[in-house]
Amino acid sequence: MIMTAIRRYCLGVHTVVAFVGNSVSYLMPVLACVVAFEVFSRYILDEPTIWAYDVSLFLFGYIAALGGAYAQQQRAHINVDILYNKVSARTKGIFNLFSFALAMFFVVIICKMSIGKFEEALEFNYRRQSEWAPQTHHYWLMITVACVLLILQLSSDWINSFHQAITGKPLLLAPSQESQETQEGNP
Amino acid sequence: MIGIEALTGILLVCIIAAFALGAPVGLALGGIAMGIGYITWGDALFNVIPTTLESTHFSFILLAIPLYIYMGQLLTRSGIGDAMFNASQMLIGRIRGSLAISVIVVCSMIGAMVGIIGAGIMTSGSIALRPMLERGYDKRLALGVIMAGGGLGILIPPSIPMIMFASSTQNSVGRMFIGALVPALITIVLLIAYVVISCKLNPKRAPLDAVPDVLPTAKEKLLTARDGLLSLLLIVAVLGSIIMGIATPTESGAIGVVGAIVLAILFKRFKPRMVQKAGMQAALLVSVALWIIVGASVFSNFHLLMGVQNMVAGFTQDLGLPPIVIIMLFQLIMLLLGFIIDEFIIVLICAPIFTPIAVALGYDPIWFGILMILNIEIAVQTPPYGFALFYLKGIAPPDVTMLDIYKSILPFVLLKLCVLITVMMFPELVTWLPDLLMD
Amino acid sequence: HAAEHNWRFANLYNRGTAFGEVYQNLADNINTMSNGRINVQMLYAGEGVGQTGILGSVKTGLIAMGAPFQSMHAGELPAGVVEVGLPGGTDDVGELSTLFHEKGWAPILKEAYGSQGLVWLDPYVQPPVYVITKDPITSVEDFKGLKIRAPGAYGKFLRNLGASPVSLSWSEIYTSLSTGVIDGSIGSNIIDHRDGNHVEVAKYMYPLPLAGAQVLPIVVNRNAWKKLSPDLQAIVEGATAIHAQEQMTKSILWESEALADMQAKGLKWSPEPSDADKVAWKEAGMGLLDEYAASDKYSKQLIDVLRKEQQ
Ligand code: NA
Ligand code: NA
Repeated sequence: MIMTAIRRYCLGVHTVVAFVGNSVSYLMPVLACVVAFEVFSRYILDEPTIWAYDVSLFLFGYIAALGGAYAQQQRAHINVDILYNKVSARTKGIFNLFSFALAMFFVVIICKMSIGKFEEALEFNYRRQSEWAPQTHHYWLMITVACVLLILQLSSDWINSFHQAITGKPLLLAPSQESQETQEGNP
Repeated sequence: MIGIEALTGILLVCIIAAFALGAPVGLALGGIAMGIGYITWGDALFNVIPTTLESTHFSFILLAIPLYIYMGQLLTRSGIGDAMFNASQMLIGRIRGSLAISVIVVCSMIGAMVGIIGAGIMTSGSIALRPMLERGYDKRLALGVIMAGGGLGILIPPSIPMIMFASSTQNSVGRMFIGALVPALITIVLLIAYVVISCKLNPKRAPLDAVPDVLPTAKEKLLTARDGLLSLLLIVAVLGSIIMGIATPTESGAIGVVGAIVLAILFKRFKPRMVQKAGMQAALLVSVALWIIVGASVFSNFHLLMGVQNMVAGFTQDLGLPPIVIIMLFQLIMLLLGFIIDEFIIVLICAPIFTPIAVALGYDPIWFGILMILNIEIAVQTPPYGFALFYLKGIAPPDVTMLDIYKSILPFVLLKLCVLITVMMFPELVTWLPDLLMD
Repeated sequence: HAAEHNWRFANLYNRGTAFGEVYQNLADNINTMSNGRINVQMLYAGEGVGQTGILGSVKTGLIAMGAPFQSMHAGELPAGVVEVGLPGGTDDVGELSTLFHEKGWAPILKEAYGSQGLVWLDPYVQPPVYVITKDPITSVEDFKGLKIRAPGAYGKFLRNLGASPVSLSWSEIYTSLSTGVIDGSIGSNIIDHRDGNHVEVAKYMYPLPLAGAQVLPIVVNRNAWKKLSPDLQAIVEGATAIHAQEQMTKSILWESEALADMQAKGLKWSPEPSDADKVAWKEAGMGLLDEYAASDKYSKQLIDVLRKEQQ
């Protein structure tokens, strides 16, 4: 009963994070187009835009932050696997309990600070310091969302590792098996 | 209050422990800094996070990373990257290691476009790693070539660390850019020589392409040449857009993206799905790279607020050593800092502290700056903490472990150390060309 | 013995630069004048706090004291942009002093900074902002269509003159000037242009400054300030006043040194602007007042004072 609920929770997190991760990838071509348009507008039309600089930086931040949870799901975050690769599945689980807790600690702090900055940005109407001066509150809201997603994914992975540490088997199918296709660099 | 030396020791121990357990590098660095910081400083330290996030995500310099990674992904997924290597291999001929040599050449060209290490390694890695592994190249050789070649991004102009060095020590950027050319050329030649010699000695490291059953017809050869030429044109176009003043080095990545899509259409290999898949992979890599940079920056900002820069300044007081020994000591300090500090921070801390001393001892500041850049190139690829290592791991296929990467660097670190020592012994290698061209 | 108050003080300059040393002197002065009861640790550019992070870090108490450059915080504290000096503003130091201390700018700014948890200490003056270009500017007309790297208020000002402001990071100015991505760039002062080596790739400086003299504050975190006894508060204020004096005398000296350095590398002034040019220049600046007054209530109060002054 409890196991089913936990399994559902993990699968639910998996779905949401995968959806956001996929959606973010559509921002990549948009980012390239914005920067390319600025070059075109400045060099060919002789009219540098007022907005491309900030828009491209915002897009950069969105892609970088929001993709974090999906990268965790794909185990794409870089780790030093020298000792890790040599130990048993159960020990790996124990190692993960520690690693993911440390990571979660950091992300929870980021999340807490971003909520504070979001409220502050709303209260004082914070903007970018550029001539265009767009508001920045959405950036902090986005960081908060990115952190919540990452915390959810880490918690799901932590539960999974806990299961693995006790039983020696993962609770769910290993992510690398589920998504072999997206992880490898082949076309 | 805890002294900065003790704190640095504790941080290093924590890093090694967390890395040993296989924790995600960036998140672990941030977690360690916040944990130790909470104990030594209190929760006011958490306020370092918003300013660090802003200065990372709103950095126009780092914007080169997503653009170049995306370009790299598009090139490899459309097969244009392969065309590039096929053609350059045809040029070099059927010798052992020819693919690795063309990788070094392509890396040098990418180095001439970008000014930071990350963009160089991740672009070169995207395009060149898989072809080498597929053709049975020794893993270590393949990884090492990418890392050494990608590192050229800061040695071949334009180079952001050089601009930072020049402005913080009030030296000429132009002089530095030109001064770096000869050491860069020496590095490239040494890298190629290493590939040729090591493949001669150990032929298994770089298998020759199997002779096809049917020899390629003249028409096929012509097609390869045409495709390769067109792909190389892309690089020329991106470089040209920088030199002709159309785009800044950062923006040129976007030109590369557009160019890659145009080429894919020309080659009739364009599919919307390819653009989306390249975007997916690029977004993942960008996110991985940026979470490392955020975590590492939080870590180093904490370390700086605690005064690590004063520790470095303290080392240099009252040395009373012969001048060249002092220069060597500086190199050693920077190499050691490279174990736990990233490239920009090393320039930021060491350039203003060391350079005036070197100048007072009668050395040329440009020469000293180039030594610093060469040194950083080594520092970013020495374990445990090195951005070149992390970037390469990010771009490599899943079956490449960090141990493979650590093992791959040794000969290349030694090569770069050779360049560093050579340039240290013969300052003319740096000063000759700028003196010739600029005075 | 250990200090009663351990402060961190961030400024925007690199370690080893002349300006960096002036801030170091302020830190040292507070240490000596307080007999070691306040210990101030200096943080130079990028040493833990980014350029755009100084104000925010002082607000939250991450650092106790900061020397921010207001243009970096235009979106956070708009009144600061009026304080530093809008394009076309005066360069007369006496006039500026009256504006702050007699005409009422100081109390308005104390309140503006105070509303965000900051204590505003007496400001100091830094040298004017100039624009450097690749080709000589013979009349204001020449600015039409020029691509000039100029952030925020300076961008708006140049747009009023028909130029096209471009946003670029500081470390790309050199490369962009050399390849021709941009035709010119402003620097936060002449010394900034010298340090950025801009003269190697752009040789002409326009004689009219974009802002005559720049007024910059020293800010302190409110909680850190309240923890000081009144005598220590007086000591910090005293050290700040000495610092303002030193900024004034030294920056005049360094500005002329930087100028001489750049002239030795081939810097030339564009020809002396005509009277019509000067009027156009002034008007481009005045055209910004309404826009800035609208940005927040403190900016409006400051500009109201300025307007009354001009009538
Ligand atoms: Na480069
Ligand atoms: Na290292």
